[in-house]
Amino acid sequence: MQHLPAIMNREQLYNIAETWFQQQDWKPFTFQKDTWKAFLQGKHGLLNAPTGSGKTYALWFPIVLNYIKGNPDYKIKHKKGLKAIWITPLRALSQEIRQSAERVTADLGTQMTVGVRTGDTTTKDRAKMKKQMPDLLITTPESLQLLLASKGYDKMFKDCSAIVVDEWHELLGTKRGVQMELALSRLKTVSKNLRIWGISATIGNLEQAREVLLGPDSEAMKNSVMIKAKLNKKITVKSIIPKKMETFPWRGHLGLHLLEYVVPIINNSRTTLLFTNTRSQCEIWFQKILEKHPEYAGEIAMHHGSINKETRVWVEQAIRDERLKAVVCTSSLDLGVDFAPVETVVQIGGPKGVARFLQRAGRSGHRPGIESVIYFLPTHAIELIEASALQKAVLENTVEDRLPYLNSFDVLLQYLTTLAVSDGFYPNEIFPEIKQTFCYQAISEDQWQWLLNFLVLGSQSLQTYDEYKKVEVEEDGKFKVNNRGIAMRHRFQIGTIVGDANLAVKYQSGGYIGSIEEFFISKLNRGDVFTFAGRNLEFIRIKEMQVHVKNSKKKTNKVPSWAGGRMTLSAQMSELLRDELYSANQDIDGQSKEIKSLRNLFERQRRESIVPNTNEFLIETFKTRDGCHHIFYPFEGRFVHEAMGSLLGYRISLLSPITFSLAFNDYGFELLSDQEIDIQQVLDNNLFSTDYMSDDLYKSLNATEMARRKFRDIAVISGMVFTGYPNKGIKMKHLQSNSQLLFDVFRDYEPENLLFQQAFRETFEHQLEEGRLRLALERIATQEIVWRPCEKPTPFSFPLITDRMSREKLSSEKLADRIKKMAAILMRK
Amino acid sequence: MCFQISSKVNHRKVVTFEAMNTASIRIKDHNFIMYPSGVLFWEEKSMLLISDVHLGKVSHFRKFGAAVPQKAVQKNFDVMDEAIAYFKPEHLIFMGDLFHSALNQEWNLFEKWTKTIHANIILVVGNHDIISPVKYEDLKIQVVSEIQLEGFLLTHHPEKRDSFFNFCGHVHPSIKMVGLGRQSARLRCFYKSEHQLVLPAFGEFTGSYTLEPIEGCEVFALLGDSVLPVPIKEKKRKGRYSK
Repeated sequence: MQHLPAIMNREQLYNIAETWFQQQDWKPFTFQKDTWKAFLQGKHGLLNAPTGSGKTYALWFPIVLNYIKGNPDYKIKHKKGLKAIWITPLRALSQEIRQSAERVTADLGTQMTVGVRTGDTTTKDRAKMKKQMPDLLITTPESLQLLLASKGYDKMFKDCSAIVVDEWHELLGTKRGVQMELALSRLKTVSKNLRIWGISATIGNLEQAREVLLGPDSEAMKNSVMIKAKLNKKITVKSIIPKKMETFPWRGHLGLHLLEYVVPIINNSRTTLLFTNTRSQCEIWFQKILEKHPEYAGEIAMHHGSINKETRVWVEQAIRDERLKAVVCTSSLDLGVDFAPVETVVQIGGPKGVARFLQRAGRSGHRPGIESVIYFLPTHAIELIEASALQKAVLENTVEDRLPYLNSFDVLLQYLTTLAVSDGFYPNEIFPEIKQTFCYQAISEDQWQWLLNFLVLGSQSLQTYDEYKKVEVEEDGKFKVNNRGIAMRHRFQIGTIVGDANLAVKYQSGGYIGSIEEFFISKLNRGDVFTFAGRNLEFIRIKEMQVHVKNSKKKTNKVPSWAGGRMTLSAQMSELLRDELYSANQDIDGQSKEIKSLRNLFERQRRESIVPNTNEFLIETFKTRDGCHHIFYPFEGRFVHEAMGSLLGYRISLLSPITFSLAFNDYGFELLSDQEIDIQQVLDNNLFSTDYMSDDLYKSLNATEMARRKFRDIAVISGMVFTGYPNKGIKMKHLQSNSQLLFDVFRDYEPENLLFQQAFRETFEHQLEEGRLRLALERIATQEIVWRPCEKPTPFSFPLITDRMSREKLSSEKLADRIKKMAAILMRK
Repeated sequence: MCFQISSKVNHRKVVTFEAMNTASIRIKDHNFIMYPSGVLFWEEKSMLLISDVHLGKVSHFRKFGAAVPQKAVQKNFDVMDEAIAYFKPEHLIFMGDLFHSALNQEWNLFEKWTKTIHANIILVVGNHDIISPVKYEDLKIQVVSEIQLEGFLLTHHPEKRDSFFNFCGHVHPSIKMVGLGRQSARLRCFYKSEHQLVLPAFGEFTGSYTLEPIEGCEVFALLGDSVLPVPIKEKKRKGRYSK
């Protein structure tokens, strides 16, 4: 008779893990052991650990050990079926995670299988997976939703013992995070033995991050732990200060002036990562470095999210093999991947957030105990103030909060449709589940009923001549999608959470190069040459959601632009920034070298205006050929400025009919108009008052376009705008509409629609940080307002008045009156 | 298929549309009035031109699971009624893309509506018009590919032919206007070049395409309650700010 191995106790299980570490000549960290223990005790939790700290082993081990515990004959027998899911926000990370998982499963002698399922997975592999799920599945939040959209998903997840949400801080504060909350709420029910774990880098609101992951007041929350990896990582920040400040520009966002300063940095380190803020900036830097230093050919590469997968994977492998001296990249290399050869990181332009800056710094010296070095390369003079403030922020570890979404009805509608597409759902069963999530903890019965009506009727009551069709209610009360077309379109739509319509860029002869936003391509004519993925390409035509191109030798300065996410400075960071600025008026000995280097600029500023002190609030006004500029400097970070600019613009527009174009940055905001504002009148009327602030702010939303832009994502996510599917080349032209049109239709016919209102609420909660605005206004009330009419633009105003891209409009004039002052611009042909 | 309207049009007394909110234009000694909702009236022929209504679009979207407010459906009919009441045309010409897609229940509404219209209705077929001509003919609507009349050519797609002056739709033109203080606005418009006038899209739930003004063109923007001739200025080279 065969002797059955005994069930191991916890100590024996630890021994397996510890032995493995010994074999690698490693020692497990306390946080790793703590995580193993908590996991094996059946607890949920949040692990706060940076990348490169061994966090993957902190969770893969207990997952495998748990399997061993339940299957003592694991070495000879393989119990099939999904055991654990590992969620990663970036597909680029999945291979890395897979390797560490495979190492553990193989070295411990189990027969467990590991699979990856992302947007890059082929249809064939997906079908294979559907038949037999791997034991350990690595996937993205979108792909997980897709699994929920497949029939019989409850059986698939039945024996799943763990779900790990990696880089949770990246998802928190986004709608992908909400998608994750919803998926977890379902899995809690269908997987009886599920442990939920998150891994997060340091953010300001870690405790809240745990609450969002597990659900406030949930059983999971009560039975959970927070484990912090206290690794004292030394980070050194060095600013690149131009030797000749006189010629350093006052504005700009590329930073190419300082290209030569990067060369010695690259030469002195094994591998250097150069982080840019946008993909177009990435393209330009790559091109310019090669142009100026052809000797780097073959030794530098580029990495961003729109480049095809093969190239990305190649670049990642080449970094590991130390075949590259430098890589110009974007946030696509922010996370995860362990690149030992990276010794130095260069941040080009403001990183828009201390947490992100720290994370990027951590890409270098990516091993416990090794110092991380990051250079900050300013793109214009005033950014040097930011550089100086950043150094202090890194010292004090002042990181931002990630604000989670509340009541995102768009994501909920998408999720409910997902459930209706797969096995159907009963509202009575699902409502309590979603009520337990952080996002929908405050949803009312009325709102829930509204959403159900919307799914079934496309409105709140039955209408004549209506053929609305989406979700049907079956006889027993089950909500179900029975139409194959609707199901198919919905599956396409999952995951297109944001973004302009993307087109695949391909050579005419075939060969996928990457994807590009329609906005850019629509401006090109046949024969135009543009730079993409480091190549010069000639535009031939657009055909079925594909852009056909061929290589070109022509030079060009056309680089595609991608709309990137905008971040704002945290309250603490803004304060550090103000302190740095105020130090310009203080004793030179106490100044940082960045501030000292700006001496010239401050002098120029003082010639026309002032450099404000702690107790001063500066307003500058001047005229240029663009119109009348009115510039305000609260130094509170971009979002507060957006709110304050809209509020003030709105209040001024009540005094008399006027139209503004508004620009914002982290230092201040501009109200540009064709008429002059009487600043004295602004002050006399006390327009900076906090009285009726919320009310006025809300009204100002109607006068600007902010809500309109938010509505775009909402319309896509909730399935009202179909975006098609770039790589599949599937055309749905007759169903494509413009979210702007839809916004107008809702405004005119259905303003009470919850999705329409959500656009306003989101702007209010996520863009206009009301609480901080109030504090800022209160601070300003204690300051002396200094109004400086100037002859010409000041150095402080430069980045603002030259911002042509991200402007907001606000008007209290009649359209006809405005239009009468305008003209169309002639194109000679 | 080509259709000629006999010139039996009785020359009505010249009515002066003195309302400020329209704009008129003379082409080949004929008078055309542009109306704020985007329709064009040919005075001499008592003919009202309406382009790109895209009826059924809202219903089409709803049928495919996109919940566009259904109340928007009625608007197209109301606005057409208003223009018809104003001009009292003898002929009503749809310049193509009358229906957005295949037959749906908005056809019933259209059918009811046509019964209230006294004018003679003609549809110049557009690329979206896939509903069978038989259905239209049942409603006594003539379906043609184009109309040639006294040197004027009415088509859906823009065309250039001989010495004809072409009226067309299809493009959904709009114009971008700019002003001091970085102000800008984009408005639907009538766009006239030397031998052609493109009508704006009439439909409530239709998008538009921004056209660049070219040498010699005339543009009339729709402001909602009026039609405004757009001043066109040459682009000045903008110098950079100097430090």
